[in-house]
This record gives sequence, C-alpha cells and structure tokens, in this order.
Amino acid sequence: MEQLKITLAVIIAVILQWTLRNVNDVFMYVDFPLIIIVYAALQRNTIKALLFGMVSGIAVDALSGGLLGANGFTKTLIAFAVSEIARRVYLDNLLLQIPVIAGACLLDGLMYFGLHRLFGQELSMPFLETTAYRLIGTTIAGTIIYLILGSFSVDSLKRSKRGSFSSRRQTRRRNPIRLGKR
Amino acid sequence: MVERSQKEVWRLTPWLMIALLLGNFLLMAYDAKTTSQERVIRVWTQAVANFVQSPVTTVTSSVTNYFQSISSLRSAQTENDALKQRVQELEVEVQQKKELAKENESLKSLLELKNEAKYKILPAQIIGRDPSLWFDSAIINRGSLDGVKLNMPIVNNGGLIGRVIAVSPITAQINLVTKEKSGLGGVIGELGTSNALGVVSGNGKRELLEMGYIPGTIEVQVGEMVYTTGQDGIYPAGLKIGEVAEVRPGSATVTQQIFIKPSAKLYAMEEVAVLLYEPAAKPEFEKTLPNASKDEKKKK
Repeated sequence: MEQLKITLAVIIAVILQWTLRNVNDVFMYVDFPLIIIVYAALQRNTIKALLFGMVSGIAVDALSGGLLGANGFTKTLIAFAVSEIARRVYLDNLLLQIPVIAGACLLDGLMYFGLHRLFGQELSMPFLETTAYRLIGTTIAGTIIYLILGSFSVDSLKRSKRGSFSSRRQTRRRNPIRLGKR
Repeated sequence: MVERSQKEVWRLTPWLMIALLLGNFLLMAYDAKTTSQERVIRVWTQAVANFVQSPVTTVTSSVTNYFQSISSLRSAQTENDALKQRVQELEVEVQQKKELAKENESLKSLLELKNEAKYKILPAQIIGRDPSLWFDSAIINRGSLDGVKLNMPIVNNGGLIGRVIAVSPITAQINLVTKEKSGLGGVIGELGTSNALGVVSGNGKRELLEMGYIPGTIEVQVGEMVYTTGQDGIYPAGLKIGEVAEVRPGSATVTQQIFIKPSAKLYAMEEVAVLLYEPAAKPEFEKTLPNASKDEKKKK
C-alpha cells in the first residue's frame, strides 16, 4: 500500500511539474518530484527513492532547456543523502522533515547550477533570487503534501480501525467467559 | 521476487547510487555535445508529454477565457464603438493598399521581376512551459508532421518570440530570445537606410535583451524599433524584435550598450505562429581553399 502510494505520488508529481507552470508562473517555484523523492527517502525506501529520483529527473529534463540528466543526477544524490540521514537520525516527525525539504531544495539548486557551469551552460534566471523563491515555495508545498500523504499512511488507517473496536474489547475483558471453571 | 535483508539493501545502495550517477553524468556529457537533430530521448518524451499537457492547457485556457469574458463585459460597449470606427478607417486603408498592390504588380511585370517565395505561417498553441524554472523554453503543439523544422522562427502578433530547438512528430520545443546565448542579427530602424546593425542576445534578465557591436559614433534614441536583418541565417529580415529601452553611449573606440524591450509578450503568450521559413542554403565549403582543414585535404 505504501509502495503504491509513493509510486502514484511520483507520477502525479511529474505530471504536475509538466503542466502547472502553464497555469500560473507561481508554480514554477515548487519542485514536486523533489518533495516526493525526499518523502520516499524519509520512509527508508532507499532503492525506490534512488530509482524514482533518476526517472523523474530525466522526465523533467526532457521538457526543459537544460542538460538531460542534470535533474536526475541531483535528485539521485539527494535521495541517497536523505535516506542515509533518515537511517541514523529520527526524522518521522513533520517538524523535523521541514528543514530536510529545505536543505534538499537548496542542495538541489546548488548542484544543478554547478553541473551546468561545469558543462559550459548558462542558466537564464538569476541564481540567488530564484533559489530563494524556490526554497520558500518548495518548503511550503512540501509541508502541505507531507500532511496529506501522512493522512493516507497505513499506520494511521490501522489506528483508526483499532479505535472503533476498543469499546468492544473492553466489554470482553470485563466479562470474560471462563470455560471449564466454576 | 527475492526479499533482501536490510543489511543487503544497505550494502547495495551505494553501488546503485554510483551507477545511477554515472549514467546521469554520461547522459549530460552526451547532451552537452549533441546537436539539436540527435536529441532522441528529449523529442520522444515531449511527444508523450503532449497527451498530458494539451488537455490541461485546453481546460485552463477555457476557464481563464470564461472569467476574462465576464470581466470584459463592462468595457464592451465603449470598445465596440472604438472598433467600429477603426474598421471604417481600415477599410479605407485596405482600398488604398489594393490600388498600390495593383500598381506594384504592373510595374514588376514591366521590369520582368520574379516574385520571391514568401514563407507560410502555421498557427500554434503553447501547451507547456519549461518545468525547470532555470530556463526559458516552451512546448508548442505543432511538430514535424505539420512541417515544422529546426531553427524555424516563432512569432506572435507582438513580434519575434524565439526559434525551434527540438522537433517531435507532434510537438516542438522552442527557445525564447531572452535565453542568454541566443544571438540574432538586428538593426535599429529600417534595413538599408540605417547603419545601426548589431547582434541581439539575452542578458540573463527577464524581459530585456541586449544589443551589441553598435559603434559609439551612431546616434541611437530610446523608443526606436529594432528589426531582424536576415543575415544570421535563421530569421528572415523585417521581423520586429522590440523597442530600445536604454542606451549606454560609447565613443569612437568603444561600442554602445543598448537594451531592448521585446515587443512580444514573452511570458503571457498562448497563441503563437511558426514561420515555415528555410533560409537559402549556404555554399558548400570550398575544399581548394588554402585554409581548408587537413582532414579534407587527406580525403582528396
């Protein structure tokens, strides 16, 4: 269920990244695939996060004016870094995940810029201003998306099911049926 | 499917990461070196993405147009009256132009001049903008099946927008003129009468172009129009690029720095047109020239 959720989330993220900028330019400051890849890495789905990072990165690069593979490179590296940190540090709380999204976004922008400079390509937008807006947009959108994804998690569904049966179990405990005893 | 233990996964992960990073790096190196004609992955991904982008664009433009039509009802009556008057003026102008065209044709036939082949105009719609915010490219819903080829100019009713950089059977990717490295031949004023010829390119700022190589001795005024020269081998002559916004004068030995505001609304465009223009083929490289490359000489 969790695997399916993340796979669907990545597909939707790539589709949103392809289409939302045409609706309004504000959406260009949100990196949806990055948000989902960081989420997958935080769930300790390392292999899936790496593969999703590469595929979603190339899917975005193919429609972009930048180098093919640049986004794939940065997102793969970020997926690995986040999953390694998540393995060693407790990051299941949303408040702790927010700075992770912000850090990932900043690192993604720096690496993307550096790779293009390495291959002699100029970016069309001013670096500092664009990175700042992107950091704000991605962090806010990431927080909202993580809240939504968290509400669909398997654990929360199980907890809600347990809650509905609790009174019945308590009734059983109060009136246990003792077999073979007088 | 074999279930791996957690330790096995942790052991495999760095190697998988290295393999993926290497694959991406090689892809980047290949893409940086490739010409526009060989971008296979990019072209076919754009063709597939068209099935997602086109419906979204159709829906969003319908919704936008609906709300715009409601808001424009207020000014409809005044605008209607102004347009009626303008139609009457244009009818008079058209009649005058028809007479001039007849006179032109008869003069041409007297001089036995051949008609130049005019390029066709193919309307198109922007279905997607660059998903990465770092670049200024867009996707249109016309491709090689409609006759679109690489480097064909893109215009709208404001003026020049850019050119085609990748073509799939049903879509094409375009670069805007504001992309920093794009350069085109420009002239301030009318070609043939003006000496202010230079190169127009993006300068990393949105909605502003820079024109260089204009000698400091030529006078340039703010507000003058800039047109393409047709000498760059990509754009035909006479396309409107924009208006001079700022002039930083030079001297006899230093060229002027001129900033141009593009006349086309580059960031609010929906409907554009592809000019099915192919420049004249350049003459084949003369192999007998003394500066011909050594490889060419060895082949002989």
